[in-house]
Amino acid sequence: MRLTHRDHILLFAPLAILIGGWLIIPALVGLSATLTTYSPLTTAVAFVGWQNYSDVLHDPQFGEAVRNVAIFALVAVPLELGLGFAIAYLLRRPIRGRSWWRGLLLLPWLVSPIAAGVMWHYLFSGATGIVSFVLGWLGLPEAASPIGDVRLALAATIAIEVWRMAPFVTFLLLPGLVAIPEERWEQATLAGTSWFWRIVNVALPEVAPLMLSVGMLLTGLSLGAFDTILILTGGGPGTATLTPALYSYDRAFVTNDWPSGATSAWLIAGGVALVGAAYIRLSGRRSG
Amino acid sequence: MRAARTIAIAAVTGAFLLPLAWTGLAAIGVLPDDSMRPPSWTGPPTLDHIADIGVAEPTFWQELATSTLAAILAACLTVAVAFPAAFALARSRYRGRRTVTQGFLVLASLPVMAYAIPLADLSRRVHLIDTFAGITLAEAAVTAPLAVFVLHGAVGQLPTEWEEVAVIDGAGLFRILGRVVLPLIAPTVAATLVVMFVLDWNMLLVPLVLTSGEVKTVPVALSDFFTFERELDWPTAAAALMVSLAPLAMLVGVFHRVLESFALQGRGDRDIG
Repeated sequence: MRLTHRDHILLFAPLAILIGGWLIIPALVGLSATLTTYSPLTTAVAFVGWQNYSDVLHDPQFGEAVRNVAIFALVAVPLELGLGFAIAYLLRRPIRGRSWWRGLLLLPWLVSPIAAGVMWHYLFSGATGIVSFVLGWLGLPEAASPIGDVRLALAATIAIEVWRMAPFVTFLLLPGLVAIPEERWEQATLAGTSWFWRIVNVALPEVAPLMLSVGMLLTGLSLGAFDTILILTGGGPGTATLTPALYSYDRAFVTNDWPSGATSAWLIAGGVALVGAAYIRLSGRRSG
Repeated sequence: MRAARTIAIAAVTGAFLLPLAWTGLAAIGVLPDDSMRPPSWTGPPTLDHIADIGVAEPTFWQELATSTLAAILAACLTVAVAFPAAFALARSRYRGRRTVTQGFLVLASLPVMAYAIPLADLSRRVHLIDTFAGITLAEAAVTAPLAVFVLHGAVGQLPTEWEEVAVIDGAGLFRILGRVVLPLIAPTVAATLVVMFVLDWNMLLVPLVLTSGEVKTVPVALSDFFTFERELDWPTAAAALMVSLAPLAMLVGVFHRVLESFALQGRGDRDIG
């Protein structure tokens, strides 16, 4: 049906109030505050220009955090997409109880990020954990928890994120794979195409727009990595698992350096905005 | 071939669920025993650890109730405001609506940390901090962009004939929305409600920065408990994890068929765009 201007306003108003009040306005207020010395507890506010940004960007800790989150996103997102796609590919044809398998596979995603942190804290540790149990079964000596090891801590947090999110990627990709008409697979099979080329030529072109959207969500989540790491390592050991989100939280709510907290938070938003611009460009080109 | 695939799926599912099974066993007191080679398990199953949660964290059951109520209300509010907007977006003829739609996905990807700090400050100024309403409204707002994106895809796939017929019959905008469009995309709406409930239930940062302890959800309670370095023995922690996972698992169990309608992009999207 044809919508008038008035219809548009009526239909968008409730959403605009909710998102405007709780998302956009806080974000913009935060943005303007980053150019000042504003903090909730001070009364005198001075304009300082780019000073806060310069401070944060010159803080070696923030540099570490950016490096960690870059590794986190560059490793976790492709792994999640790859694993998620592989499992969805296994599930694409009807088998007995497919929707049950799909529901069961969603369980890791249902564990909240913070609960996942608590859970893996115990699963990685010696006496109670699954890791040392399996090692013991194989006759190997017990290993120390990777979350206390500078070299392994980041890898451990990535592994937990992949464990939690890959099943969700399967959940999101499966409708796209199932929707591919059966003839397309049959044609490819009749032409003698191997399974690898069936994936590349039949499956991937169909789910590419979907993969792009899922990739956008995953990248945003990775760049904001916070909950699991807060509970598991608190950013440590040292700065091995520090992320920009943890850095902002710490500055704003723990050390009461509100301007640094708000400023580093805006740098995260800036990073996501860049990825978002790339996403909009890429998906626009695809649709022609 | 089919059997091989079933085995592969079972193996993959088993691998992903193994950590949860381990936690579930610990919750009922079946714990690993490292003293033996190869290691085995100890203890007869017991439900005592579930009762221990209330001893370690006396307000746990209250926090569970807060989480449930906040997540239900927030999910309903999200879908209620997202649905009309998604419809407008799908039926709009304005230029740039594609970009706006994709903008909603970018907004959905924006980490909460990006605006949580000023959100806490503003909520304090308008006295919404430490209130149930403040937390519920904020949770609803955070998940709204994703709901718009998903519902937009579902509306975009619908043929417009039903709406045209309703217009000829003289039905008004909101009547068409409620009586024609909503029933047609009911499965997607239900699936969106379930996913939003899960996201709200599991959200940490929003309820964490919006409370000083008066109104607590389960994730906030978990973070408080472990941030203040209190020790919790593994079976009790495992029991708490399992209890807070159970409502979500039951929800997904009941709605597993409906959840198939949760799609990030309607298939017809390309034709309409």
